[in-house]
Amino acid sequence: MEERKPLIQFENIVMIFDENQVVLKGINLDIMENEFVTLLGPSGCGKTTLLRILGGFLEPTEGKVIFDGEDIAKLPPYKRELNTVFQKYALFPHLNVYENIAFGLRLKKMSKDIIDQKVMKMLKLIGLEGYEKKNVTLMSGGQQQRVAIARALVNEPKVLLLDEPLGALDLKLRKEMQYELKRIQQEVGITFVYVTHDQEEALTMSDKIVVMKDGIIQQIGSPIDIYNEPSNRFVADFIGESNIIPGIMKRDCVVEFNDTEFECVDKDFNENEPVDIVLRPEDLDIVPVEEGKLTGLVDSVLFKGMHYEVVVETVPGTSVTVRMKVIKNNEVTSEDGKEKISANDFFVDIDDVESLDDKEIIARADAQAWYTETDELMSISKLEYDLKKEEGEYQVTFTSSSGLSIERTISVVDQKFVKNKKANEGIMAFNFFKTVDELEEAQAIDTDLKTWANAQAWKLSDESQPVEVYVDYDFDPEEVKVGTYKVTFSTAGQEMKIRTTDFVEEGKEVGISFGPEDIHVMKK
Amino acid sequence: MKRFSDLAIPYIVWAVIMLFLPVLLLVFYAFTNSGNGMVSFTLTLEHFAKFFTDTDFLQVTGKSIMIAIKTTLLCVFLGYPVAYFIANSDEKTRGILILAITLPMWINMLVRTYAWIGILTEGGIVSRIIKVFTGKDYEVLYTEAAVLIGMVYNFLPFMILQVNTSLCKLDKSLLDAANDLGANAFERFIKVTLPLSVPGIVSGISLVFLPAVSSFFIPKLLGGGQYFLIGNVIENQFITVGEWNFGSAISMIMAVIMMLTMYVVRRAEDKVSGKEETANEKR
Repeated sequence: MEERKPLIQFENIVMIFDENQVVLKGINLDIMENEFVTLLGPSGCGKTTLLRILGGFLEPTEGKVIFDGEDIAKLPPYKRELNTVFQKYALFPHLNVYENIAFGLRLKKMSKDIIDQKVMKMLKLIGLEGYEKKNVTLMSGGQQQRVAIARALVNEPKVLLLDEPLGALDLKLRKEMQYELKRIQQEVGITFVYVTHDQEEALTMSDKIVVMKDGIIQQIGSPIDIYNEPSNRFVADFIGESNIIPGIMKRDCVVEFNDTEFECVDKDFNENEPVDIVLRPEDLDIVPVEEGKLTGLVDSVLFKGMHYEVVVETVPGTSVTVRMKVIKNNEVTSEDGKEKISANDFFVDIDDVESLDDKEIIARADAQAWYTETDELMSISKLEYDLKKEEGEYQVTFTSSSGLSIERTISVVDQKFVKNKKANEGIMAFNFFKTVDELEEAQAIDTDLKTWANAQAWKLSDESQPVEVYVDYDFDPEEVKVGTYKVTFSTAGQEMKIRTTDFVEEGKEVGISFGPEDIHVMKK
Repeated sequence: MKRFSDLAIPYIVWAVIMLFLPVLLLVFYAFTNSGNGMVSFTLTLEHFAKFFTDTDFLQVTGKSIMIAIKTTLLCVFLGYPVAYFIANSDEKTRGILILAITLPMWINMLVRTYAWIGILTEGGIVSRIIKVFTGKDYEVLYTEAAVLIGMVYNFLPFMILQVNTSLCKLDKSLLDAANDLGANAFERFIKVTLPLSVPGIVSGISLVFLPAVSSFFIPKLLGGGQYFLIGNVIENQFITVGEWNFGSAISMIMAVIMMLTMYVVRRAEDKVSGKEETANEKR
């Protein structure tokens, strides 16, 4: 590697919009000469803001932008030795291709023949010779993009800034332009600062990737470093596909997950430090059960063209079964027969009693009142109940706006949830009551069952992080009769994605093998 | 949806009839000579011949066009900076300023023009101010200046609104791009903002020039008897003289002049914005 010196240095850049919206929270970053640097992150991470600060369109709230040894944070854009390729190209619609490219040169009052020479050279570089008289608004996206690049490069900037320049192009053109851009960068030999949210684009083109999230730099490194040694969960998740498993670093080069100790190549962690482990799908191999370091059942196999994506359940999911009592009728009719009111008994956890308000009770009991003739709903205007934070049965009376009322029972129970330490999950659900009609009218039965049973699952390590719940039942909601039915709610357990070129059958028990270098350990 | 839009057909037929009938009638009158309704109409070009052989009429036409051009130029130079300022203010201020400009239009144009008589007349605000500075009595009312003031006052909002619309539509990233390529604020304005706002200026010109050239009550009220424009001639022919045929002919001549003017302006616009091929699609 040749010796490079930093051309641009961001020093503690803070950007605050509208007094309180902190977009950049102290960015420190060096960009070398002749480097292809990519700022990568999801939308809203501050990458474009950082680029606009470098371009001179925004002034940072705090911090320095050192360019070639000078602080340029307050310098207007037209005095900076860098040029930008804008997101939607921003070509001047009133000028043709030639005049667009010549725009910067004309401002520098260069002589005609020099401008001519330079523009022609650029047209050759971007492969648009013969297009100089063309109207830019009539060109294709790819061509406009090339003109935008030429318009910036013709000024011979030290740095070219590119703000998601390929975002508007279709997939095939985007791939072509990726090679094209890399070729141009190598040919002109200047620094490119490239902003994108496309991780593949970043991996393909960059010398250095800067991963950002919420205005903070998560990791800086070469594409290989970032991919193989992501520094945290976010980076691992954002770049490529990955299986992320919680584990414990036992000592140098030994990590424990899924109750087993594995040899790895990572060091410099504290003893018994909780960590996240990344296993990339393409690093895993499917082998016979006895040879596998982990085993599991093949859950699904998807054909992806070049490979199969196999999902293996290495730790079974957690499930909880509740009873659904189907009754015939839950309504009360008024004396004149013109109005009806309905509601269901329901169960509630003792810990949730305090959070129960009128609205919640009406929703959980599914209380409704309506006119029999028109089916027009009327409001439930009054609720009477006396709930205590004790196990037991409590009466609740719902009264409609016309005075018709119905009495139901709320059962306060101390519901045990099912804990699965190995899969790091907890799940719980409640028994519930429904009528035949309500079941028949259900539009999305899986979601409705989850709502009725108040089913929820979460990560044991972080209760605020929900886990997807799946529903299983053995009745036909269209033809259900009065009686008691079992409904099972379950989680998916721990699943591993594996990329393989060999077909595996679904439902088969297989082993998964990987080497010590395939285990990437990250700090939590 | 097709069925629904079909409901508009009777309306369109009605609108076309109401729009074209008066014009057709005008054409008919211009090319005919009528007796007293008893004698059948005869086709003739004599009204046109009368107009083009009489130097008085030609002079009045020239004067009308000149004052319309002056009005238009003043509106461009006064209106553009205002429109530019409005387009560059924040959204709230912009709304207030647009309201302030359209507000006078809620009051009848005639009434507002009458108000100018009071302002410009001897002893009015304007002559008093002039007296303070020059020490002389000077009456602005019933001069060309008064007519010009009245016209600019009445037509300026149209120019401002048109230019403002085209400036607001301007893609801000083009301004960033110009800055990025080395243009300072002034160069950016000359090379990007101005050429891209030409369509606004052009539609502003058509909204100012056309009514200005045929206006008759502004010169009548503010120019007094001595300031006679082609609009007044036409009005006279119809109302005082009762020569409907001749009046129609002059109206037609004016319409042709206006059409030619607009054609020339549009062509000039295409040249400035340098997009011959797309000029029509864009509008």
